[in-house]
Amino acid sequence: MTSKDTTPFGVTAASPENRKLPLRRWRGAAIVGAAVLLLGVSGIAVRAADPIKIGILLSLSGNFAPNGQQTLTGLKMYFDKVGNKAGGRDLQLIVEDTQSKPDTAVTKARKLVQSDGVAVLTGVVSSGEALAVNAYSRDSKTPLVLSGDAGVDELTMPGPLQNPYMVRTSQNGRSVASAAAEWAYKKGWRKVVTIGSDYAGGIDTNFSFAQTFCKLGGKVIQAEWPPVGSADFGPYLTNLDRSADGVAIFEPGADGLRLARQYSEFGLKDKLPVMDIYAGLTFESNLPQLGDATLGIYSSLFYTPMLKTPENEAFVAEFRKRMHASPNNEGPNGYVGAHAIVDAINALHDDLSDKMKFIAALRAIKFDSPKGPISLDKYGQVIQTMYIRQVQMVDGKPENVPIASYPNVDQFWPFTEADIESFKYGYKDSKNALTDCAHLLAKK
Amino acid sequence: MTWVIHILNGVAFGMLLFLLAAGLSLIYGLMKILNLTHGSFYLVGGYIGLSVVQLTGSFVLALIAAVAAIAFLGAVIERFFLRRFHLDELPQTLVTFGFLFIFSDLALWIWGGDPQMLNVPRLFQGSLPMGYYAYPYYRLFLIAVGLVVALGLWWFQERTKLGTMLRAGVDDAEIARALGINVSLLFTLIFAAGAALAALAGVLAGPVLSLYPGADFEVLIFAFVVVVIGGLGSLRGALAGALLVGILDDFGKAFFPQFALFTVFVPMAVILVLRPTGLFGRQ
Amino acid sequence: MTARAWSIAVVIAALLLLVALPAFLREYSVALATKMLIFALFAMSLDLLLGYTGLASLGHAAYFGIAAYTVALLVVNANVSSGLAFPAALAVAAVTGAVFAPLALRARGSYFLMITFALAQVVWSVAFGWRTLTNGDDGIPNVVRPNFGFSLDNTAAFYYFTLAVVGIATLALVAIVKSPVGRALRGIRESETRMQALGFDVWRYQYVAFVLSATFAGVAGALYAYYNRFVGPEYLYVIQSAEALIMVILGGAGTLIGPAIGAGLIVFLEDFISSMTQHWVLVLGVIYVLVTLFAPRGLIGLVNDVRRRSAK
Repeated sequence: MTSKDTTPFGVTAASPENRKLPLRRWRGAAIVGAAVLLLGVSGIAVRAADPIKIGILLSLSGNFAPNGQQTLTGLKMYFDKVGNKAGGRDLQLIVEDTQSKPDTAVTKARKLVQSDGVAVLTGVVSSGEALAVNAYSRDSKTPLVLSGDAGVDELTMPGPLQNPYMVRTSQNGRSVASAAAEWAYKKGWRKVVTIGSDYAGGIDTNFSFAQTFCKLGGKVIQAEWPPVGSADFGPYLTNLDRSADGVAIFEPGADGLRLARQYSEFGLKDKLPVMDIYAGLTFESNLPQLGDATLGIYSSLFYTPMLKTPENEAFVAEFRKRMHASPNNEGPNGYVGAHAIVDAINALHDDLSDKMKFIAALRAIKFDSPKGPISLDKYGQVIQTMYIRQVQMVDGKPENVPIASYPNVDQFWPFTEADIESFKYGYKDSKNALTDCAHLLAKK
Repeated sequence: MTWVIHILNGVAFGMLLFLLAAGLSLIYGLMKILNLTHGSFYLVGGYIGLSVVQLTGSFVLALIAAVAAIAFLGAVIERFFLRRFHLDELPQTLVTFGFLFIFSDLALWIWGGDPQMLNVPRLFQGSLPMGYYAYPYYRLFLIAVGLVVALGLWWFQERTKLGTMLRAGVDDAEIARALGINVSLLFTLIFAAGAALAALAGVLAGPVLSLYPGADFEVLIFAFVVVVIGGLGSLRGALAGALLVGILDDFGKAFFPQFALFTVFVPMAVILVLRPTGLFGRQ
Repeated sequence: MTARAWSIAVVIAALLLLVALPAFLREYSVALATKMLIFALFAMSLDLLLGYTGLASLGHAAYFGIAAYTVALLVVNANVSSGLAFPAALAVAAVTGAVFAPLALRARGSYFLMITFALAQVVWSVAFGWRTLTNGDDGIPNVVRPNFGFSLDNTAAFYYFTLAVVGIATLALVAIVKSPVGRALRGIRESETRMQALGFDVWRYQYVAFVLSATFAGVAGALYAYYNRFVGPEYLYVIQSAEALIMVILGGAGTLIGPAIGAGLIVFLEDFISSMTQHWVLVLGVIYVLVTLFAPRGLIGLVNDVRRRSAK
């Protein structure tokens, strides 16, 4: 308890010393004042030494934790590679866990922007979070570089979600599905059964597959939709229309692992070939566990750790050192996102005051990466190479060996932007119409 | 032929669900505790089994290690965290939920986030050819295991001295104590047994369901559904409920795919509305 | 000062703090405070059922979520004014409660818990599966906040709106709890048979408590839809119901203020701890276990114990 006649710091109010400041103290005050003035004037120089803060929003807990962890490793790998510096300044990474919830993602985004003063946001794993953070980025005019899994197509297509402050260097649904369709058709498949996880991502992907396949002249003869978290694919496998030439599957996460094993256990592996869209079954962490069960399965993705470029080999070696596992798509996505941010900052010579210039610099990026050559289209969506892979034994271990590639695939491929605009139906109205080519290709 | 597969599959899935639910049902039936940590016992037990298999290659050793470790864990939790809240539901709920969270994060920390699948033991690898398809031997093994476990539990509860003491201790603790039965020890054993069953399920289900973050919550919900339909605390109910859900799930998905999500929750709601205590539940 | 004077002083201080909040807190803290208020109401609504009537529900998210969906569907799909959607959402929550109550009240104790769980999961399945109506797991974005002549898009403005709504709802809840109805409910919680013997129509009281509880949950749900400007099936999922239950137990069932504080604390801790460590789930779990050990009657129970001990 302080007594009434003392103020903090022990100076007593009534003491005579502080009634009149002697000259020596004025000199002291002058020196301090001059220092402050100098600091203020050299404020620009002082600020230039401040680090540029980069806000990273990822799911680090819950079901999407592995996706978040891998993306984070990829991001950190690139930032470490450039010594955590860009445009002559230090980079400071601030990571926040979004808990895979859209409202938490927005709360954390706000914190990063308002409390931590980040210059750019990056990451984001799930589509739900991406939609929410995208809206926040647009409202708050904060640059956003989507480098995580969130592949919902509409984010980068002309429409109500369009955000001039956002670019996406990672992926989208349509391109990977279309590559699968192109290659299946080339392989001679004309009748395909699709199996898709029954949620927005699965429906969107299999819809894109079916639409492209129809355009080429093929047809989906049966579409199955196991619910998310299906433990038992038995009923779906025994219901398959066996007259099909192949099965196109989109099943991510644990569902993919289960289906991969069950497909083999139920005796289908050598009878009906599989095209694994987005590599849910042939996910890198699944392969060592499944032994022979995945041999021969085709998959489409914009990456495989088996790509034999010097850049990728170095990337894979370093990634394996950090995570004791092979990278799938998330690691390279993070890496590329970081690369884009660094290149943009370098192009601006670290002057980030004009956000539109920063976005323009982001949109102008063009470089080689472990995924292959990277650039962005006019909507900020990545243009990259699609690979068709097949699981083969390499050195006694099952690996996703690249057997074909489609370079410079943009988000509308193989259609043009005008084509996509002219289609009457999107994935939301097409879940039960995948077998109807007339519906899928109907024009407005 | 596909009909046979559908039936086999429904029963196999049902047996799996029974194994998942048995531990929860046992603990509730004998101790009136709704053990939310059940999901953790499943997942951590499964992970321990996985690690043992990776180290030693022995599935049997994995089963023993997982069951022993989780039984011990369960005993510790009961003794130090649950015993004091005898019949006090709210603190029991909070503390078991707290442990669910704790183990969920620890499991993610120790075993990582990628889904991991136990390998089918060599004895049961391969599938029985059935026309165009084949049916995995391991699932047939699960049907057998489920039956054995069900019979074992029934025999134990109804026919052994220990089982009789258990039922006495539960029905009237005062008198049981007066008769010299160590009721506290009994309760610890029951809880440990329930936990052990969950761990057993974790290792046995590992080759089918795989292990991943979030599986603990999913299994808990599955177990809830089975126990709700079958009736809390009834072994017969758990088995009946599990088989019903397994068969409905398979046939539902095969023949009414547009209602796939509802094949589990709608029957559950319907049964509850008609019989609030479930098929075989006691009041 | 007397205990009563203390209580009044504390309440006034808290109110002043709540009102002055936006003046000294950053925008994202104000937004977090708004979320804390919304969940405080959600928890209090469950407390009416659990703490006062003695019925533990594991399906309370059904009313929370259905109100949120009503707001979203009316505002986004049917172009109804946001302000009108609010009472509609309450009506839907109340009707859902009225329909579910007779089904759930066929059971007690753990069976009641199970039935409420089952009913909520059915609602969730519909929201998740009926894509043409609800967009499934995509959820419904672009929910517009009510406009009473001034926009509520500003974080501070929406905070005050929420504070007002939650304040009024709280007053209503307090009134109910202190009324003869509230006392009857507490008697029913202690012993249904005794109250029946005393001539109370126990079932009718429980029914009313259930519907009221659902309605207040609906208020919170509608507010949450406005807050996030987005609605998804996770609002209806069992995890949401379980969280509400934990908030009530943590805070102290049967006290209203306890669950409110429990909710605010959990919402705050989730945000705060997750910024410091990615092992926030572990930390929360440890907190729950410690609270159970040291405050089995919840935090308010702990406060009461301390007060009682110091009064000796």
